Amino acid sequence: MATNTPAKTTSSWMDGVRRWVNDTKIAGRPLMWYLTGWRFAVIAVVLAVLLPLITPDMYQDIQSLRVAMISVFVYVMLALGLNIVVGYAGLLDLGYVAFFVIGSYTMAAGTAGQINNWAGKLINIPSFPFILLLPVGAFLAGIFGVLLGAPTLRLRGDYLAIVTLGFGEIVPIVFQNIPIFFGQFGISATQPVPIETPLGELSFTDPLNSTPFYYLSLAVVVLVTLGVFMLRDSSIGRAWVAIREDETAAEASGVNLTNTKLLAFALGAFVGGIGGVMNTAYQPNIAPSNFSFSISITILIMVVLGGIGSIPGVILGALALRLFDVFLLQRINDPVHQSALVAPINAPLHFLAGIDFNTLKLLIYGIVLIIMILLRPQGLIPDARRRRELAGVGAAPEGMSAAGLLEQEEVGGDVLGAGESLDTTEYTGAGSDAQGRE
Amino acid sequence: MAQDQAQPLLQVRGLVQRFGGLAAVDGVDLDIMKGQIYSIIGPNGAGKTTVFNLITGIYKPTQGDISFEGRSIAGLRPDQVLRRGITRTFQNIRLFNNMTVLENVLVGQHTQLPGDVVSALFRLPNYRRAERHAEQRAIELLGFFGSSLVDQKDEYAASLSYAERRRVEIARALGSNPKLMLLDEPTAGMNDAETADAVQYIQRLRKEFNLSILLIEHKLQVTMGISDRIAVLDYGKKIAEGVPAEIQRDERVIEAYLGRKTAVE
Repeated sequence: MATNTPAKTTSSWMDGVRRWVNDTKIAGRPLMWYLTGWRFAVIAVVLAVLLPLITPDMYQDIQSLRVAMISVFVYVMLALGLNIVVGYAGLLDLGYVAFFVIGSYTMAAGTAGQINNWAGKLINIPSFPFILLLPVGAFLAGIFGVLLGAPTLRLRGDYLAIVTLGFGEIVPIVFQNIPIFFGQFGISATQPVPIETPLGELSFTDPLNSTPFYYLSLAVVVLVTLGVFMLRDSSIGRAWVAIREDETAAEASGVNLTNTKLLAFALGAFVGGIGGVMNTAYQPNIAPSNFSFSISITILIMVVLGGIGSIPGVILGALALRLFDVFLLQRINDPVHQSALVAPINAPLHFLAGIDFNTLKLLIYGIVLIIMILLRPQGLIPDARRRRELAGVGAAPEGMSAAGLLEQEEVGGDVLGAGESLDTTEYTGAGSDAQGRE
Repeated sequence: MAQDQAQPLLQVRGLVQRFGGLAAVDGVDLDIMKGQIYSIIGPNGAGKTTVFNLITGIYKPTQGDISFEGRSIAGLRPDQVLRRGITRTFQNIRLFNNMTVLENVLVGQHTQLPGDVVSALFRLPNYRRAERHAEQRAIELLGFFGSSLVDQKDEYAASLSYAERRRVEIARALGSNPKLMLLDEPTAGMNDAETADAVQYIQRLRKEFNLSILLIEHKLQVTMGISDRIAVLDYGKKIAEGVPAEIQRDERVIEAYLGRKTAVE
């Protein structure tokens, strides 16, 4: 069917990329074969487990790959959580950072030892262990997910997005303006007593030895991923997809729309809370200004980039963007600055000395997103259903070949295309009787 | 016992639905007895589908009451109505196109499955048993229409033929173990052979699943053939009701369908 559609005018390098994805074979198998299902999971976990062993032990270097990976793990969790809301239930949430904030502050306040009372006077509070704060942060975030969801889920599409966006802005501002957690100055988690583990002392803020915490984060990520898999392949996951596909039919099949959407919101928030706790556990100083709208957007881009609704895709999207951010960007920035600075003042590239690539981050994300939407709207590793939706319902041939994937994209529309179910339901059949009458 | 017999399964009284100034349904009464195949016919725009949407909770009635097994269901949400035992299909088939045939029928059994997060996350024994059972049941339900749907259970719903999709929709609707099934034009767009087949399985539905059936149908040869009782709607009002033979002779029905006789001489 791809042959019937008018060929899109794509430049030759785009074709080149396509051919590269298409033709790349590892041990006789196409690249995509390794990136689907359990194979991806096994490869990803093995690589992640081996990483600290094969990277040089750059301790003291906060930008070492290992420490960068801890941050990647946090964002993998956040992206997986947002994927429940956006990918499965089809609800556009632009304020996901709110749940990240709640998790982060739970960890910080729970270990800080001191907070202010309402009058702004310092009081001592007990310091709680990490293992307790992890579920507490997750549940608190989940509760706020319900509190946000309950009044807003009757909204559809853009309206829901606007309200969630507001929530994402409000939560950091609340923390900024209440004295308990020191307002705009932020709060610091204190280092809990290190725990002895077979891998060494498990300490949370020690940059000298990040290995135990690396493995702890990895374990949490693996558990979260397993959990999301289980949910996706359950009656709950089916109900989410059914709602995304056709709310009226889902409701007529016995799916309680409100509860099922709320559950998606709560579980997404729950995972976001876990991400927040993990994040503060290794980056102990947090302040409201750390949690900007751009974080919500970045997580959303990770989901879209990787493939909405696809667990391996979302993991890959988070890995790519976060590694770029914390690991690659600085490595581009420094040498460029240095070489531009030593260049004569009238040299053509001297202007680069004045450019901080960190500030261009969102611009770069935007460009990457546009390229993705043009080239591969279904994401890096597309979800099977999304692939069909973007390829036009009923037209897609089956089979998970890379060639098939790339062909189908020719007929794809925009990334939220195919009547993106964020707001589709109208009672078409229902109203026809009344409206059809002349 | 005698009272039980007289008690209709579904009782609709004085049902009114207004859209702005238009009364799409205007004071309709219906009594569907257990085990009946009851048809609602009428010209386009007569309010038939609106009646279905009112019964299944998609619309809240402006006035009037709907009771099922003696309890009022007016104003309940669609999923609550389904739990009471009323299921439906749609005029313009509403399958989940990007789900497989099997998944579609599994969604239909949503109310029969444990829906809590803990059982789903940890795959507790009761959850796995329920899922296994649901899958067997789904295959049984697809098997009601012969082996061809069972063979295609892992195909996406969108890839099936029109008649097959109608069948999957019925299989999905059966998943909730309903007592009453509302079929909205189950033979629309079908050719004669497919229509004949549909008539057969509608009768089998009643027998094998112990169902009562409320039917909207345009093809008169279908309704006249299988209905125990027929109600005729026109402009939102019930203009006639009776057994098929009565309806065929009814002046007002002929008028509604063919127009008024005028004295030309």
